[in-house]
Amino acid sequence: MNVLGLATIVRIASEEIVTDAQGHVTTHSAWLPETAEIIYGGLSSLLIFWALFKFGGPAIKKGMAGRTERIQKELDAAAADTAAAATEAAQIRQAKGDIDGERRRIMAEAEQQAAAVLTEGRSRLTAEVADLEARADAEIAAAGARVGDELRAEIARLSTAAVDHIVTGSLDAATHQELIEGFISRVGAAR
Amino acid sequence: MSDDRIEGYARGLFEIARAEGTLSTVEDELYRFARSFEGSDALRTALTDEQIPAAKRLAIVEDLVGGKASATSTQLISMVVGAGRGRDLPAIIDRLVARASSAQQLALAEVRTAVALSADQQTRLAAALSAATGKQLNLKCVVDPAVIGGVVATVGDTVIDGTVRARIDQLKSRL
Repeated sequence: MNVLGLATIVRIASEEIVTDAQGHVTTHSAWLPETAEIIYGGLSSLLIFWALFKFGGPAIKKGMAGRTERIQKELDAAAADTAAAATEAAQIRQAKGDIDGERRRIMAEAEQQAAAVLTEGRSRLTAEVADLEARADAEIAAAGARVGDELRAEIARLSTAAVDHIVTGSLDAATHQELIEGFISRVGAAR
Repeated sequence: MSDDRIEGYARGLFEIARAEGTLSTVEDELYRFARSFEGSDALRTALTDEQIPAAKRLAIVEDLVGGKASATSTQLISMVVGAGRGRDLPAIIDRLVARASSAQQLALAEVRTAVALSADQQTRLAAALSAATGKQLNLKCVVDPAVIGGVVATVGDTVIDGTVRARIDQLKSRL
């Protein structure tokens, strides 16, 4: 027995219908309806519920099924999106890992190349500095020799000029004759 | 001037001097004039410049050698200069002297000194050079202040240098 039947029985047992002098009928309980109302109302409600279940149930079921299906689709789509996102995230992480690896490789290669360039540059600079030093030494030596030669030439020129001047000034007639006689004697003795 | 023409002038001068009987004197005077001509730019220019009239060039020759050399020498120089061959005068004279030396079976010896040699010195020097070279020499003396002092003698390809100039040059080389 359901709750409605139990309530109806209680109602029927406790109700009391009163009719006043004018013939007006009032209920016996202030808060409960009359028994007949309960019966008819209950039956009507049952009928309505049955009709609702009979005719509206399939539609509701169909609507609920559609809604369930739609929600399921949305859930599937969300799951697919989540999976795709996860895949993409994995790819991104992998790509990030690849990028990190490539970055490390490039950095290592760049460092290696920089070290090689640095070493080569140092070697070249060392060689160039040595070459420049050698050239500068040679130029200094050449300049020194040149200055020495010029100085010697100038000294020779001045000495010759001085000798010319002194000898020419000191050659008198007697010296001329002495030189000539000396020449004649030497040539004559050389026979 | 071509070699034939120089030779022709030299032969002409030689024959004239020999005909005059002054070959020895003339060749000596001409030789000294040739050396002076070579050593003086001004004289060379004056006697070879075509812009200067021939009469003026002859007057210059007369002024220079007229009173110092024989008449034959002066006339021979004037003839060459007047003919416009002044530029070739040294070559003509050298050829003349060579011809004169050959005619006398002598080798040409050029002696340069800063001061003039006396006749005695010339004789002794010629004898000494002859003894040294084994040749009979036609000695030509040239006064050349450039030697400063002493004597330089050239006989053919042989040069005997006893000049102060040579010693100064040696000193210069050593310095």
